[in-house]
Amino acid sequence: MSRYLSITAVALVLGVMVVQQFRITGYQSAHGTPADRAQELTVELKQLEKERADLAAEVEDLERKLAQARMGYSQAAEALRTEITKLRLLAGLEPVRGKGVEVVVVPRQGTGVFTVRDEDLLRIVNELRGAGAEALAINGQRLIATSEIRTSGAHITVNLIPVAAPYRILAIGNPEYMKNTLEMRGGVVETLREWGIDIAVFTREDLTIPGYQGKTSFEYARTS
Amino acid sequence: MKGLYAAMALVGLLLGLMVALQFRMTRDIAQSVPVQRAQELIARLAAVREEREALEARVSILRQQLDAVTAQPELTVLRRELEQARILAGVVEVKGPGVEVTLNDSNQPVQPGQNPNLYVLHDEDVLKVLNELRAAGAEALAINGQRLGPTSEIRCVGPTILTNKNKRLVPPFVITAIGNPDTMISALRMRGGVVETLQVWGIQVTIRKLNEVTIPAGVAPVKFEFAQPVTS
Repeated sequence: MSRYLSITAVALVLGVMVVQQFRITGYQSAHGTPADRAQELTVELKQLEKERADLAAEVEDLERKLAQARMGYSQAAEALRTEITKLRLLAGLEPVRGKGVEVVVVPRQGTGVFTVRDEDLLRIVNELRGAGAEALAINGQRLIATSEIRTSGAHITVNLIPVAAPYRILAIGNPEYMKNTLEMRGGVVETLREWGIDIAVFTREDLTIPGYQGKTSFEYARTS
Repeated sequence: MKGLYAAMALVGLLLGLMVALQFRMTRDIAQSVPVQRAQELIARLAAVREEREALEARVSILRQQLDAVTAQPELTVLRRELEQARILAGVVEVKGPGVEVTLNDSNQPVQPGQNPNLYVLHDEDVLKVLNELRAAGAEALAINGQRLGPTSEIRCVGPTILTNKNKRLVPPFVITAIGNPDTMISALRMRGGVVETLQVWGIQVTIRKLNEVTIPAGVAPVKFEFAQPVTS
């Protein structure tokens, strides 16, 4: 009798171990291969390294301007002027040129649910930003940090200026990467086409995007 | 009796094998190349991040020094222009009255057969809230402490949001905006507006009016890789 008992006990332990083994193997395949993580970390590292390089260049630039500003009044004024121009360029207040893409969006005949809406343009712009666009404009209106793209009555306004179809979005950045991002399977171009909107993406060798022309003063925001 | 011992020996042997295998599996997982690679990358990330932060601190000190060196009254006009350019480029912290909008996934129980994805927050929802705030005159915006600049994107990846290329945000998503609080709140709460639309899907939206909002400085002033200034 006791020998059956011991065999039962051994078999029980064995069973538990087999289950455990299966669970470990199952966990590995169910929770993503660690290789994906390495890939994700590599992308993150690359971006951080770019930011580090940009900041190092910024330190060098500011050190040079500081040395210049210490030399005298006119040099100080000149240092301030070049610093202002640099920041205005980043903020989107100055015209820029470079290669990129042109996206043309045309609503088909008739209106209704499938006309071009502000959120369609928002999505296109968001995808372009995600794909690294450095400067953007819709029908000549430069997009800055506070630019809206919003239906207001019968029009869509950008920077409070009404824009009308066909919508022409210009973006400076890596042309192929931006085009591929928009035209990805299940991406924004495919979705909008399914809704009956004509959309075409062209890569361009040389685009010029105007600077923002609207109001630049602040009523509420202040630096501490 | 002999047969029993043989059987038990066999079972014991098998058990021993399994224990050994178990140990090896666990050890292998920790030492496999992908895991080692990931750990190596994590270490490098931490190092680069630290260097990045040190450089960021240095930049902010240099800006203060530039302000101090150019403190002559004759340069006031230029210094004011510089301050404005800094706000527009998003490289300085700004304060002012504004709103705080908190977004969270739906708390409605999903009915069987319904697509649960309809009840979670999407990129577009966040984009629409931001767009509405911009249309209502927001002067500076941030989400979970990430300043939104001219090229900031909003990308939902699983339950998280990626913005400013690699900044990963986790819910709840808190949008802060400086501007006229009443204008911004009525724009959001308008009939048929963005808050109403989100509530159809059960997305939880909380809006708070604040007398003082602090919006941090943005990420590194990026250098353009493709865009060149137009020299006229």
